[in-house]
Amino acid sequence: MHFPYLFAAYAVVWLGLFGYLLRLGRRSRELEEKLRYLRRQLGR
Amino acid sequence: MRRVFPAVTCVTMLAALFLVFMVVPIEQQMGIVQRIFYFHVSSAWMAFLGFFLVAGASAVYLWNGSRGADRLAEAAAEVGVLFCSLVLVTGPIWARPIWGVWWTWDPRLTMTVILWAIYASYLMLRAFGGEDEAVQRYAAVLGIIGVLDIPIIMVSVRLLRGMHPAVIARNEGGSGLVDPWMRIALVVSAVALILVGSWLMQLRVRASRLAEEMAALRRETEARQGEVA
Amino acid sequence: MRGALAIFRKDMSIEWRTREGLSSVLVLGLLLLVVLTVAYDAPPEAAPALAPSVLWATFLFTGLLGVQRGFLLERENDCLSGLLVSPIDPAAIYLGKLAANVALLAVMQLVVVPLVGLFLHLDLMPVLPGLLVVLALGNLGFAALATLFAAISVRVRAREVMLPLLVPLLIGTVSATRSVLAGGLTLASDALGVLACFDVIFAVAGWLLFAYVVRD
Repeated sequence: MHFPYLFAAYAVVWLGLFGYLLRLGRRSRELEEKLRYLRRQLGR
Repeated sequence: MRRVFPAVTCVTMLAALFLVFMVVPIEQQMGIVQRIFYFHVSSAWMAFLGFFLVAGASAVYLWNGSRGADRLAEAAAEVGVLFCSLVLVTGPIWARPIWGVWWTWDPRLTMTVILWAIYASYLMLRAFGGEDEAVQRYAAVLGIIGVLDIPIIMVSVRLLRGMHPAVIARNEGGSGLVDPWMRIALVVSAVALILVGSWLMQLRVRASRLAEEMAALRRETEARQGEVA
Repeated sequence: MRGALAIFRKDMSIEWRTREGLSSVLVLGLLLLVVLTVAYDAPPEAAPALAPSVLWATFLFTGLLGVQRGFLLERENDCLSGLLVSPIDPAAIYLGKLAANVALLAVMQLVVVPLVGLFLHLDLMPVLPGLLVVLALGNLGFAALATLFAAISVRVRAREVMLPLLVPLLIGTVSATRSVLAGGLTLASDALGVLACFDVIFAVAGWLLFAYVVRD
């Protein structure tokens, strides 16, 4: 009956949570790369 | 431990979804849309948890300057605002087929909006407040005051009922939990989302720590280059 | 306590000598009021519904400006560091500034409120005692938060951060004003309760947290 609404609500929840998760993952990976680079620069 | 936690989170989430979609009986008055309610309310609880955590961590930070506390406060605020946004989006999606409108100034909705605004402005303060050390302290003060506002907001938005007599009579979804499976589904959903929220906070804190380490190393690199030159 | 009084007197005397802050606040208030009332030429029956919102919207924006200017003055001559080095307890500084802001806002209210009555064709005399109570409570609550956050906005670009926190205060004051205009204090008792709680909670919170805001 009201399936589209139910779907929309759960889609939003999933997209929201996953989107944040992906963003965090990407940022963490970038940071780790830069850290490795900097550490090499300092000769550690 | 690092492997176990996400695994437990996933399992609980799957259990919640299973309960919500397969086990729970169809609610009489609202039909299938009622199932939004399980994640909607659970998100709200997680958001509140997040905001209380912001206040607690902020207080610890003000008390002893613990960097870990400050990082936790920021992470909790981000996750709290995330879940609060989910509440504010799933709410109207639920309301539209049930009440026929996307929005009303219902006390609980109003309160959620205000809370969202308070902690969104907290995040904005941290993001755009500039490089000053003091920003973290100010944010901590804001974080504590925000939580102090909660009881007052709850009481004051009830005054709105008198101001807007056209408020749609609310069919209290929360207390309409007839079937025991409904209650179980709600509890499991809540646990699942709290676990997800905690996991996200963990990841966020880790990212913060990496960023700080990087900033420190960068400063050291620049200092050394200065010496050589 | 003596420290707080000293701060209060210092701020009041500065304000009195230049009257710069007060006058710009009043001019802005007047302008805002005119804009809000002229655009919607309310028939007399609509006035009691319109008046509370107009009154408190004007109060909010001019109050925000007024309190922040007070702190800007401190920062210009680096008075704040001077204050901190002095033996006065930061919490006392907060109380003194709070009192000064309450006074400033009260003067602003004394000008704005009669004008609201004038522009909206409302007779405020019969409800005056109730109205004064609401004005006082709203004033104190606003000043409690504004004093704390103005200190923050001096160093950091964060002027509007305080606004969401004020929403319950606004709900309370508008609701109370509406009740008072309709039938006096007794109708407004719920709203007044909310306002009183707000005032107490945030005055105490500001008193406790001010030290963390100005510490350096």
